[in-house]
Amino acid sequence: MRLLIAAAFSIASTAALAAAPAGSPAPSFSATDINGKPVNLADYRGKTVVLEWHNFGCPFVQKHYRSGNMQSLQAKYGADVVWLSVNSTSRSSSDYAEPARLSTQLRDFHAAPAKYLMDDSGAVGMAYGAKTTPHMFVIDPAGKVVYNGAIDDKRSTDLGDVKTAKNYVAAALDELKAGKPVSIASTTPYGCSVKYR
Amino acid sequence: MFTPFPVLAAAFAAIALLASPASRAATLVKTEHVEADLVADKASAQPGKPLRVGLRLRMEPQWHTYWRNPGDSGLPTKIQWILPEGWKAGEIQWPFPQPLPVGPLMNYGYEDEVVLLAELTPPSSAPAGNASIKARADWLVCKDICVPEKGELDFVLPVASRDAGADPRFVGSVERALGMLPVDAAGWKYEAALQGKSLVVRLTPPEGAAAPTKATFFPERESLIEPAAPQRLTRDGRALRIEMKLADPPIAGMTSLKGVAVSDSGWNGSSGRKAINVAAPLGAPLGAPAASTSTDAPAGGGMFAALAFAFLGGILLNLMPCVFPVLGIKVLGFVEHAHGDARAMRLQGAIFFVGVVASFLALAAIMLGLRAGGTQLGWGFQLQSPVVVALLAALFFVLALTLSGVFEWGAFAQSVGARLSARGRYADAFLSGALATVVATPCTAPFMGAAVGFTLTQNAALSLAIFATLGAGMALPVLLLSFFPALLKRLPRPGAWMETFKQVLAFPLYATVAWLAWVLGAQSGNDAVFALLAGLVLVAMGAWTYGRSLHAEGVWRPTLAAILVAAGLVVAWPGGAMNASGSAAAATDDLQWQAWSPEKVRALTAAGRPVFVDFTAAWCVTCQVNKRVALHNASVIGAFAAHDVATLKADWTRQDPRITATLAALGRNAVPVYALYLPGEEAPRLLPEVLTPALVLAEIEKLPVAKTAVTQR
Repeated sequence: MRLLIAAAFSIASTAALAAAPAGSPAPSFSATDINGKPVNLADYRGKTVVLEWHNFGCPFVQKHYRSGNMQSLQAKYGADVVWLSVNSTSRSSSDYAEPARLSTQLRDFHAAPAKYLMDDSGAVGMAYGAKTTPHMFVIDPAGKVVYNGAIDDKRSTDLGDVKTAKNYVAAALDELKAGKPVSIASTTPYGCSVKYR
Repeated sequence: MFTPFPVLAAAFAAIALLASPASRAATLVKTEHVEADLVADKASAQPGKPLRVGLRLRMEPQWHTYWRNPGDSGLPTKIQWILPEGWKAGEIQWPFPQPLPVGPLMNYGYEDEVVLLAELTPPSSAPAGNASIKARADWLVCKDICVPEKGELDFVLPVASRDAGADPRFVGSVERALGMLPVDAAGWKYEAALQGKSLVVRLTPPEGAAAPTKATFFPERESLIEPAAPQRLTRDGRALRIEMKLADPPIAGMTSLKGVAVSDSGWNGSSGRKAINVAAPLGAPLGAPAASTSTDAPAGGGMFAALAFAFLGGILLNLMPCVFPVLGIKVLGFVEHAHGDARAMRLQGAIFFVGVVASFLALAAIMLGLRAGGTQLGWGFQLQSPVVVALLAALFFVLALTLSGVFEWGAFAQSVGARLSARGRYADAFLSGALATVVATPCTAPFMGAAVGFTLTQNAALSLAIFATLGAGMALPVLLLSFFPALLKRLPRPGAWMETFKQVLAFPLYATVAWLAWVLGAQSGNDAVFALLAGLVLVAMGAWTYGRSLHAEGVWRPTLAAILVAAGLVVAWPGGAMNASGSAAAATDDLQWQAWSPEKVRALTAAGRPVFVDFTAAWCVTCQVNKRVALHNASVIGAFAAHDVATLKADWTRQDPRITATLAALGRNAVPVYALYLPGEEAPRLLPEVLTPALVLAEIEKLPVAKTAVTQR
């Protein structure tokens, strides 16, 4: 009977967005990458992880790739951090792209994430409360979210703004590397909505 | 050159062209999804006198642009004015937005057409003649995908000393835009507070006036609230209280709140405008709402009425078919001891009471906790999971088999045999209390819906008090029996009749199993029902094997029994069935039920039809009874046809956040709820939870007879 009561208290799952605010433990996940390989967040315990919500169809994402901004961050910090791009675009969205097409696009842009995760079910995005593309998370080696928010402080689709913007992710990663607390730990993400089902 | 996205590249090229210095401003800019131009409220400007000039964006159907706070994503439209010497431009005057849900996210913005007005003031020295007004505008337009667009617009505005009146070309658009500007309503008082994880705003109308029953609040500040979380509305005396879920993490150091409140029925003193400006310092928590003046009598009766209804509802729960057998068994145990140790019996009754109340509190705490976390749940949520339904069915089946005498096992057999240790008996009393609670929750007895609905608008302590009262009501009869065994003396002395009574009690339990199988069918389809029944056959074999082993030596029979029961549960487990589509809508309905959606209600009432909405769920017994008794009735069906009432079914058998939100807006959190929406009336009329044909007819006959439908009779 105890078991039954415990079961009776268990709850039907809902499609509501969860959240992973800065300071909270990073929700664990396992997903499949663009090559069909499993990726588990737990495997990166002990390393700094960056999550970047991605969708090439979104003009805000294009801004950071056409300007070379995102690739240069990936290259600059690639040695120290595990950079995971996550695509939560649902298959029903017109922005959805097959892995093969995405691979070509990533190559053409010289994008260099450690892994590119296909999350078309939206499970990872919902667990983190990812709202926009891009929406950036930094997870410290202890598995704690230390940054949640926008890529920078210039909310626009203008390529030119990248140069003058303050990049929050770079700042967080620099502080983390220097052993300092992240001074700006949460900001409002900007961009297109994540194309959930 | 290879380009990763040719279509967008083309769009970018077009935009680059527009933005390049060589591009010339145009009076009308047509982009991929928008037509943009400038409009003015006057045919000509007068020197030194302000007038309104606006950017008009006409979007392709289903595409939208954004409000100043775009919500979860998006970008507000930007305008940069380029004006002749000495002219001044004010800020954009934003019309109130509409909520634009995108999957689990929410945006605030505009569809179809929006005019973003700004006040322009020519200098008093402005020469007569034509002035050239230019605007560089940037907007993000989205549907499923987003496209940033921009345009450089120009507009020739004559300057003359005389007031030329409105410009007839733009009068429609300008008036619509002006009508959508939020106004300051006279005499209203606004208060705001951060309470736990919520932002609470209280809008108090001037003396003698009433607040609208429905409203939506749009905060000016981004990232202040979770835009997609439903806003909870409560009547608070004459005032309206709006509770919103704060963003996580909440914005630190806020001292005041600014935003726009929108109600379709307008506001006292807003001269018919739907939107008002709300500004308030963030102050101390607002305390519990005052007694409400809502038309919903039970929910409006305030705290004591809610407690009284909870208590009464709790007592009535004892009569529900799924609860009665559990209590019957309890009472049998008492009969056994009625002539024994009175003190031990009182203690058992008290422990049962504690078990029920504690379980109600636990369930309520879990529900409140999850709701605070943003999950959309209502009372009876346990049965929205097919796994729980299947497990309950198996449990009821096993209990029924015991009562039928297939096997004797566990606490029931032992308590009849009176060989149970004292401690075991008390554990049994507590657990039967918990069991009774779990099975009782979906049986929303009369009055309970209102009490539970009231509860969920209250602070946590009061909510818990109400649930505790509900439990106390349910446990009362058993408690009374245990304290006044004299009542039991009226029953025959223990004997053979008890065995018969026990066997009879098995049948309501079998009936409950049948009902749960039907619920599962509605949730997960035919296959799940077959799996359940096949699983139950295995469970029955296990129970039978166990029963045979009781008087035999060895361990193989109990082991086999355990294996069979485990196999039965595995077979019955509704794996992945949550995604299966199902519906409580029965095909045998005589009324033409359509699937409910808020849009459909709006569309039908807009078309002049009354709309009857049945908020129901397969696991809700009261709903099924009402359907059979009141809605299947021939004269009711005739009346619905005569008055051309559209019937919509909102099926809450499985989780549906939209239904939960709509129920909350109606002040309810349980089904059944019957709502009659009338054209031209914002708030629906709510019918009682227990329907009779006469009640429904009385409500329907009040409506005007539909001309077209009369001939159908």
